[in-house]
Amino acid sequence: MARRDDRIAEEIAFHLEQQTAKHIAAGMSPEDARRAARLKFGGVAQAREAARDELRGAWLRDFARDLRIASRSLARVPSFSITAILTIGLGIGAAAAMFSVVDGVLLRPLPYPESDRIVQLFQIGDTGRRGGNVSEPNFLDWQAQTRAFAAMAETAAFPQTVLGAGEPQSVPVAMVSRGFFEVMGTRPTRGRGFLAGELQPGAAPVALVGARFWERWKGDRPPSGESIVIAGVAHAVVGVMPPGFDYPRDAAIWTPREQGVASPSRTAHNFRVVARVRPGIDIGAASAELSRVSRAMKVRYGGETMMADAVAVPILDVMTAGVRPALRLLLAASVLLLLVACTNVSNLLVARAASRQREFAVQLALGASVGRMTRQWLAETIAIAGAGAAVGVGLAAVAVQVFAAMGPATAPRLDQVAVRWPAVAFAAASAAGVALVLSLLTAWGTRSVRIADALSDGTRGGTSSRRQMRAREGLIVAQVALTMVLLAGAGLLARSFTLAMAVDPGFRVGDDLVLQTSIEFDGEDGPERRASMQETLLARLRALPGVVDAGLINAFPLGRGQFANGMFIEMTRPDEITAPGQFEITAPQFQGRTGEAEFRAASPGYFEAMGIPIRRGRAFEATDGPGPAHVAVISQSLADAQWPGRDPLGRYIQFGNMDGDLTALRVVGVVGDVRELSPEALPGRVIYVAARQRPRTTSGFSVIVRGPGLRALAEPVRRIMREVAPASPYELSTVGAGFDKAVGSRRFNLWLVAAFAAAALALAMLGVYGLVAYAVSQRSREMGIRVALGAEPSSLVRLVLARAAWLTVLGSAAGLVLALLASRAVTGMLFGVTAADPGVLATVGGIMLAAAMAASYLPARRILKQAPGRTLRDI
Amino acid sequence: MAARLDRESEAVLQGTLDMLVLRALQLEPMHGWGITERIEQWSEEVLCVGQGTLYPALYRLERQGLIASAWDVTENNRRARYYKLTAAGRRHVGRELESWRRLSRAIDLVLRATEA
Repeated sequence: MARRDDRIAEEIAFHLEQQTAKHIAAGMSPEDARRAARLKFGGVAQAREAARDELRGAWLRDFARDLRIASRSLARVPSFSITAILTIGLGIGAAAAMFSVVDGVLLRPLPYPESDRIVQLFQIGDTGRRGGNVSEPNFLDWQAQTRAFAAMAETAAFPQTVLGAGEPQSVPVAMVSRGFFEVMGTRPTRGRGFLAGELQPGAAPVALVGARFWERWKGDRPPSGESIVIAGVAHAVVGVMPPGFDYPRDAAIWTPREQGVASPSRTAHNFRVVARVRPGIDIGAASAELSRVSRAMKVRYGGETMMADAVAVPILDVMTAGVRPALRLLLAASVLLLLVACTNVSNLLVARAASRQREFAVQLALGASVGRMTRQWLAETIAIAGAGAAVGVGLAAVAVQVFAAMGPATAPRLDQVAVRWPAVAFAAASAAGVALVLSLLTAWGTRSVRIADALSDGTRGGTSSRRQMRAREGLIVAQVALTMVLLAGAGLLARSFTLAMAVDPGFRVGDDLVLQTSIEFDGEDGPERRASMQETLLARLRALPGVVDAGLINAFPLGRGQFANGMFIEMTRPDEITAPGQFEITAPQFQGRTGEAEFRAASPGYFEAMGIPIRRGRAFEATDGPGPAHVAVISQSLADAQWPGRDPLGRYIQFGNMDGDLTALRVVGVVGDVRELSPEALPGRVIYVAARQRPRTTSGFSVIVRGPGLRALAEPVRRIMREVAPASPYELSTVGAGFDKAVGSRRFNLWLVAAFAAAALALAMLGVYGLVAYAVSQRSREMGIRVALGAEPSSLVRLVLARAAWLTVLGSAAGLVLALLASRAVTGMLFGVTAADPGVLATVGGIMLAAAMAASYLPARRILKQAPGRTLRDI
Repeated sequence: MAARLDRESEAVLQGTLDMLVLRALQLEPMHGWGITERIEQWSEEVLCVGQGTLYPALYRLERQGLIASAWDVTENNRRARYYKLTAAGRRHVGRELESWRRLSRAIDLVLRATEA
């Protein structure tokens, strides 16, 4: 802008100077010469103004004028304009909202310096399965043998009971190794980090805490000798991390991992590994180096390690992997809705163009250029699209808030979702795209307006009106096709949802109370003290009025806990393995006697309270107490897999690698399978041990209380907790709530896609209605003649309906083809159906056809009401 | 209404001015003042270029791609913006001159007929 003005000023100054010089040369005084030059030049200011206009481009001025005229002409037809703007607004709003969500969740960088260089390292097993947990020796080898990473660290995070900072609370605590803060590029902002002397076993326990945790506790001031008790151990708080830092897994407390001793086994997969890729090195190259090193390790260590390969994945991708397919699908659905909205408005515009044909023709006849009129038409389209975009951004701003509030609890980074500039730019770009598409479609629908035709009575149905009819029919077919794609998606998700809800998870889903808590004691006798406290708790709960049974487990289905699993060995006699050194999964003498299973610790009453059926033998009983003979209950699927056709009862299992207790487990019962992770995941093979006999892994546990439900029991349970375990944080919920949460994201995705599909269906119905109404009015004369000649009006109605049905079938067929082509996008989110499920596709096809028929019937009925006499008179 | 009439008469002038400018630039690149001097010289001081309209005309022609401009130094070592015809401008001026000649000949014929 300024450069443009400078140029003008300099050129004019130069001009005046030259003119003055010329006058002086002719003998004038400098004073007179200057005045004469100015006089000759004319108004300098006006010249500058006019020049500036030319430089800026007259088109902008013209465009502004076109827009003004367009808005005036749109304001004269408010119902048309409002419909069009709201339709476009709906489409752009949905797309901009979904774009904002995708932007906030998938695209925005994490709040760490150069966060795109931070990767998590996964080991890949022999079977190709990717595992996030890595053993200490493998980690150390990675660290020593790779060059691509500037820093590498181990983390292990899980909720622990924290005392000393207000009420007892369950807080995600992360053990992190040396290098963690270098990997994250983040340091404590108050206090200090860990000292070198603190990174070894036996050092005084220290902890860093998150900003929010600290501020709720101590406010603004820096730490000065405070301490907190984490899982029974006092830790000095030495520093506070900056606000927003909560890696890994929403951690609020970080402790040095080096203060504990890591297992030297290459199969003790206890840590997640994060690393920072060196500047200038590509993530792919870093991953390739890691893979090379890992494959060499496999060659060297063979059966000692389960790792065959490894891969480095950016942590943002790791975090969002679970929601990426759903978000992509939802974005695609919203774009489809935008396209449906476009076809609808385009149809309106073609209709408007048709009704204005005479106006255009008059303008053309009076000498307006075709280009000029095209510009005017384009300006109207742009005005509609622009206003639609504004409405859309407003809608999106509301929609993303609803989305963030209602989104499934399991979805990451929903707090990052807001309508930001990229989304506004996206809306603007969509509006431009919409304007372009609308103009092209409309131009195609109205091309070659014949002046003569239009100036004579347009209703006589010349070629141009027939062509318009074809264009509008084409648009309807496209609209029906796009709507069908959305309907098919919604139908498949709905079917998946009902199937998922109908799955028998293996336990009773109701409003039985679930108490989730933890009891932690420090020291050698900690587990024993915990076990007896748990017995007291269960006894008190069972004594409550109305309670049928109560039992605990250390990992509640569809809930939280220690979902540990590993390899076990079937022993030939109870004392075959009694020392850790004998536990060698790969040892030849155990060949054919090993298996893999989930490890759970449960109490008497657990299976009964959960409604898990006992298939053989018995469940845990009060007599399964401490002693030399430990019992185990296994799941049906483990029995089938490990001892097909044989009796598992009485067999001895060594599973002590899970909790360090090498007492033999004698199988005493078989229970039904349970879908622990989600209703959709296959049930795992489980070995249940008695919590009373194996209390080392039961610090975090859930109690299920079968009885009168949460509402009736909440108060008495709170009282019991206060009396029995006052230092334990706890949460009350129900089995049903856990189930709801587990299907929450499926339900949420379904609702959104269904909403998009419903909106598209409504638009399509509007479109069909408009088309049929137009067709009936266009053909009223023909109909009148037919009726006068003896045709049954009802047969004419059928004629019109048949045409609409034909168009719908055509569109639906095209939509089905599109839906099948796009089925890959939805496959990952289906459960129990394939993307080509004939039942679902037939149903949505039926819905589409019924909706189109309903929309056609109203205008078609008008034929019946038309008095043949009047139409004939009108000829 | 008056405003619109003004505008139209200006448009006529504009068209002529554009052609004169292009014609002036046909021989060599020149700065704005040089163009006015050249036109006045050639027209034996009959045509006086309204300089308030010269620069808008130059910028318009530049935007239309008929002329191009760049800063340069005059023989007196003074910085000035020089304009030259582009290839498109060269073709355009040829066509314009042709049609102008036809038109002025036609007008001339008509005027002579009425005189007779």
